[in-house]
Amino acid sequence: MISISIDGKTIEVEEGTFLLDAARGAEIPIPTLCHHKALTSDGNCRLCLTEIKVGGKTKMVTACNYPIREKIEASTTSDKVMEFRKDLLTMMLARWPNVSILKTYAKQYGATEPSYKHPDRNEAEDACILCSRCTRACSEVAWENIIGFEGRGSDRHVTMPFGEQYNRCIGCAMCSNVCPTGALKVYDEANNPVDSAQVKKYGAKLGEEMTLLDDDQCKMRRVGTAHLVEIMDTYDLLPTHNYKFGSHEESHKIASPIWLKMLTQNTPDGCWAGCMMSCAKCIEGFELKTGPYKGEKVLVDGPEYETAAGCGSNMGIFDPFAVAEINFYCDTYGIDTISFGTCMAFVMECYENGVIDKDKTGGLELSFGAADNSLEILHQMARGEGFGVTVGQGVRKMKKKFVEEFFADAEFLQDIGMECKGLEYSEYVTKESLAQQGGFALASKGPQHDEAWLIFMDMVNKQIPTFEDKAEALHFFPNFRTWFGLMGLCKLPWNDVEPTNNAEYDEPHKVPGHLEGYYNFYEGVTGKKLDEGKMITMSERVYNFQRVFNLRMGFGTREHDYGPYRAMGPVTDEEYESRAERYDEQLKNVVGQDPAGMSTSDKKAALRKFREEQYDSLVNAVYKRRGWTNNGVPTVEKLKSLGMDMPWLLDVVAKHQE
Amino acid sequence: MTQINFTNLGSAAAAEKKRLAGYKAMLMVCTGTGCVSAKAFSLLDTLKEEVSKHDLDKDFLVVGTGCNGFCGQGPILVVQPQGVFYQRLKKTDMTRIVEEHLIGGKPVEDLMHRELSSNEPIHKMDDIPFFSKQKLIALRNKGLVDPENIDSYFARDGYAALKEALEKGSSKGVLAEVKTSALRGRGGGGFPAGVKWASCIAAVDKTGKEPVVVCNADEGDPGAFMDRSIIETDPHTVLEGMCLGAYAIGAKEGFIYIRKEYPLAVTRLEKAISQARDRGLLGDGIMGSDFSFDIIVHRGAGAFVCGESTALMASMEGRAGEPSPKYIHNVESGYKDRPTVLNNVETWANIPVIVEKGGKWFAAIGTGDVSKDPWGGSSGTKVFSLVGNINNTGLVEVPMGITMREIIFDVGGGIPDDREFKAVQTGGPSGGCLPASLLDEPVDFDTLTKAGSMMGSGGMIVMDDHTCMVDVAKYFMEFLKTESCGKCNPCREGTVTLYGILDRITRGEGVKGDIDDLERISRVMEAGSLCQLGATACNPVLSTLRYFREEYDAHINEKRCPGKVCKDLITFTINDECNGCMVCAKRCPTNAISGEKKAKHTIDQNECIKCGICNDVCKYDAVNVE
Repeated sequence: MISISIDGKTIEVEEGTFLLDAARGAEIPIPTLCHHKALTSDGNCRLCLTEIKVGGKTKMVTACNYPIREKIEASTTSDKVMEFRKDLLTMMLARWPNVSILKTYAKQYGATEPSYKHPDRNEAEDACILCSRCTRACSEVAWENIIGFEGRGSDRHVTMPFGEQYNRCIGCAMCSNVCPTGALKVYDEANNPVDSAQVKKYGAKLGEEMTLLDDDQCKMRRVGTAHLVEIMDTYDLLPTHNYKFGSHEESHKIASPIWLKMLTQNTPDGCWAGCMMSCAKCIEGFELKTGPYKGEKVLVDGPEYETAAGCGSNMGIFDPFAVAEINFYCDTYGIDTISFGTCMAFVMECYENGVIDKDKTGGLELSFGAADNSLEILHQMARGEGFGVTVGQGVRKMKKKFVEEFFADAEFLQDIGMECKGLEYSEYVTKESLAQQGGFALASKGPQHDEAWLIFMDMVNKQIPTFEDKAEALHFFPNFRTWFGLMGLCKLPWNDVEPTNNAEYDEPHKVPGHLEGYYNFYEGVTGKKLDEGKMITMSERVYNFQRVFNLRMGFGTREHDYGPYRAMGPVTDEEYESRAERYDEQLKNVVGQDPAGMSTSDKKAALRKFREEQYDSLVNAVYKRRGWTNNGVPTVEKLKSLGMDMPWLLDVVAKHQE
Repeated sequence: MTQINFTNLGSAAAAEKKRLAGYKAMLMVCTGTGCVSAKAFSLLDTLKEEVSKHDLDKDFLVVGTGCNGFCGQGPILVVQPQGVFYQRLKKTDMTRIVEEHLIGGKPVEDLMHRELSSNEPIHKMDDIPFFSKQKLIALRNKGLVDPENIDSYFARDGYAALKEALEKGSSKGVLAEVKTSALRGRGGGGFPAGVKWASCIAAVDKTGKEPVVVCNADEGDPGAFMDRSIIETDPHTVLEGMCLGAYAIGAKEGFIYIRKEYPLAVTRLEKAISQARDRGLLGDGIMGSDFSFDIIVHRGAGAFVCGESTALMASMEGRAGEPSPKYIHNVESGYKDRPTVLNNVETWANIPVIVEKGGKWFAAIGTGDVSKDPWGGSSGTKVFSLVGNINNTGLVEVPMGITMREIIFDVGGGIPDDREFKAVQTGGPSGGCLPASLLDEPVDFDTLTKAGSMMGSGGMIVMDDHTCMVDVAKYFMEFLKTESCGKCNPCREGTVTLYGILDRITRGEGVKGDIDDLERISRVMEAGSLCQLGATACNPVLSTLRYFREEYDAHINEKRCPGKVCKDLITFTINDECNGCMVCAKRCPTNAISGEKKAKHTIDQNECIKCGICNDVCKYDAVNVE
């Protein structure tokens, strides 16, 4: 810490603090035009010039970018400073006599329009004063560099390349948001929002948060979702060897620092124009080692977290190049990386347990970590040849085939085959989060976390301790996230960057600050007010309709809401023993059974009984909260209360009412 | 290609010296840009043909050299080692020189320079006053080496300083000599090079980042050509200086930032670099030592502001050439945030000599006491480009502390056409104009700054009494307003506003309060500009106001231009000296002059565009300008 004085006030600041921040922290005002908190200081307006005494010398420095590295005495109101500001503003008034912010400062510092005429006098109230906030926002906030300066001296002006509208502009409006005079306007009326100002205001707020907070929170803009690898590993949630474990000593080889080195990005890669998070990433010039494009250099779109986990740790593969290659071919063939990863993890566990062998796999050795042979399976799958055809059917059909044709232990395969409703599990270990077990298995489309991702609020932050709390979460979040789908919005900006004051709200796990933003955004677009109740009702109709649809297709009852036991607890002795301390502790303190002297197999059975009962109770509570029967069917009253009393709909549920 | 190492540099030099000694004489044709524009290359070819024609190739070697310095007298040929100086040559003169001088043994007197007062031909170059008062360090090899042949640099003991430093293996030794020399940056700032290098070394220790050395060859001042000439004349001295600097601070990479408008300099530089690489003087393991260093030429697009260090580095990094604050110095975080030593061409050119002859030898030349504090004076020499209303236009290198009078009247030969000296502008466009009363002040960094001008990179424009100082200030302000990058308010708005006011004054539309406005705006620029370009851009105004305020008053209050330059404030009339010769009437572009033969002419003021041709052509002083 360095002790400095500003206008006689003594302040302690950290080395490197900018003088302006130090002054504003001490509530000493310094006028600025080009400074903006979300942007790097440029020091071009010179209005913040402050007189400092340092090492016996007096000099004038721009407070906005003067880093405090030694003891200084600053004066923000010395005669020299005040006269400078007055004369500078006088000069600026000669060019821009009617710009409001200049007029305000001019009044404050006693400047009036001079008698000399400026050759480029601009009398507009919204004249551009060349502060470069917009160009810095474009480069630093949007990472786009679409607008910049052209011309020297007083010819300097903001423009797009060659002075033409450039179609690479993503229309994020960050430039107009930071413009101090209103000179820069973004015209985006094509969608006819009711109140475009409100929409822009919300967008600008989000953009600002992204710029200021993302680097400290999730680094979505730098590495994308792959930053989760190391976090999941730390919390024992990274699926490893077909979800047996939640961490691995080699996981650092597929963690974000590795990806950061491999990812190349000339421009931010958002899913659509205007996204400020731009978490999509890619590897350019990647040389393929296998398959039809062997030897060619290609662009790999990814990897995202679930690809790194699914096609990496879950398959026991810790070679980032193999993961990238699987990523590329899955994309090229149109195969989902999560399903592929979970299918292969299942195949590998079966292989290691002797359920299948080289005779069945066409001669391919498929233990965990077999990267080259996994790629071969992927190519077979695409060609419709060999064992790839079997794997390509998915876990549910493989289970059936392995039992019927290879005489495998049906119960074991049911326990380790990570699918529910026929869909493969997403890449999170849910053993220690009851709520997330429900989040996956109760999801309409199958165990996909886009309905609810509750692990952290349940397991780490303990925000939803009771069945009722969990049921409430499994009511709110699936509906809330359904609303994103209805609006065509991405979920990531909702909570991958959180406002700094999030913890001050009553229900921080909902990120209420952002909910308010969505209400404003909705209102700006449609002109209709929105609140939490209205939002959830909107979704509930769709969500219940989906459930009825599932029912009609034969998947909408309680039995289909149960996943494999691997998602709830340790299936094998190996799994139990690897985390024995945790399980023993639960047996002793929660289940009330002293594990001392019990065999692993007995302990496993006792824990399983307890956990399965817990899940039953959770399902009961969730159905109740959702207004469904104990068999998971929406009640007629519930549908009617949602205004869904169409006879053809009620017919489907009628025969399932208890 | 023989790789140069510690043991064979001496023999390479000796071999080249021996080869040259085998000739009766060397014919050094200046092929600096000035002479080239006067067809020096074709002269060079003609001379070679003539020599061959007479079968004299064994006896005489024709060499194209860099700038001789006496640019006003180009094209130039010097016969060495005898030192016979020929000037203002034409193609046909080549035959005469070969036949009369080389074959006949009689130097051609009417192609020689002549003494101003007696008009007697001067046989030896060293006897010409323009050369005799100079002291050459940076330009020590001018006219004596072939810039496109590294061996000729060896023959002048080139790379000996680098060899000695590498052989001793003491990078600290190099730094110590440069510190002792108190060499101050020749680019204008006058910051001691040794201090800069030492801070860079400290920054490297602190950050662990690899340092770089950069040579600033972005010479943008109108009328200045010191750096260009040094590179065109003796590129290896710059390379050797940079090698020594890199060795002192531990850099492996060097850059030369040079403007694309200097095609000859760029060509010669690239040739020199490639020859140095071929001979093992750049690249890995220089001269067989463990010191590796290479240089890349970076061509700038020619913005004046790119001579400013932070703008230069932004440009090198591929960003727009605009300055940024220097609160954290380049030596700590410069090119790509690496510790960076940036010195200009002339500074680098001094380094080999300093290392060879010792810092003390260098410090003894110049002014002040620099033994304890490099800011205590100005050591060494300074190269100036001497232009304007002066007899001897050209490039001069003089010891620091020489008076302005000596430079202008002794070296420069005074003002032509018997006119009066009025002012000298130093320091480039953002320097200042100094009056006759300061002619006897010593020329050094601190005196010039105190006088309201600056050393700059060494431009020196001499003006006679037919110069209007308000017009001069306007001229420089026009340059500065176009070259201001426009990033910060004081410079962008200040230059354009100052120009507007000056323009008005020169048009006779000056009003009371203009001078006050000029001063106020200048103060804002001085105190508040982001870079030194802006902070000094007001100097032309402030220095002319300080020394020639009465000219401003005459323009504003009396609508009169004392220099008789500002067209709106002067009228041309014909007086009784007119004998009716009709010459002016014939030459007048607007036919404004009428009158009979042998009768006094008159000028129609409505038609006159004040071009001044009548005055120029009149032999009888019959045109009055009032």
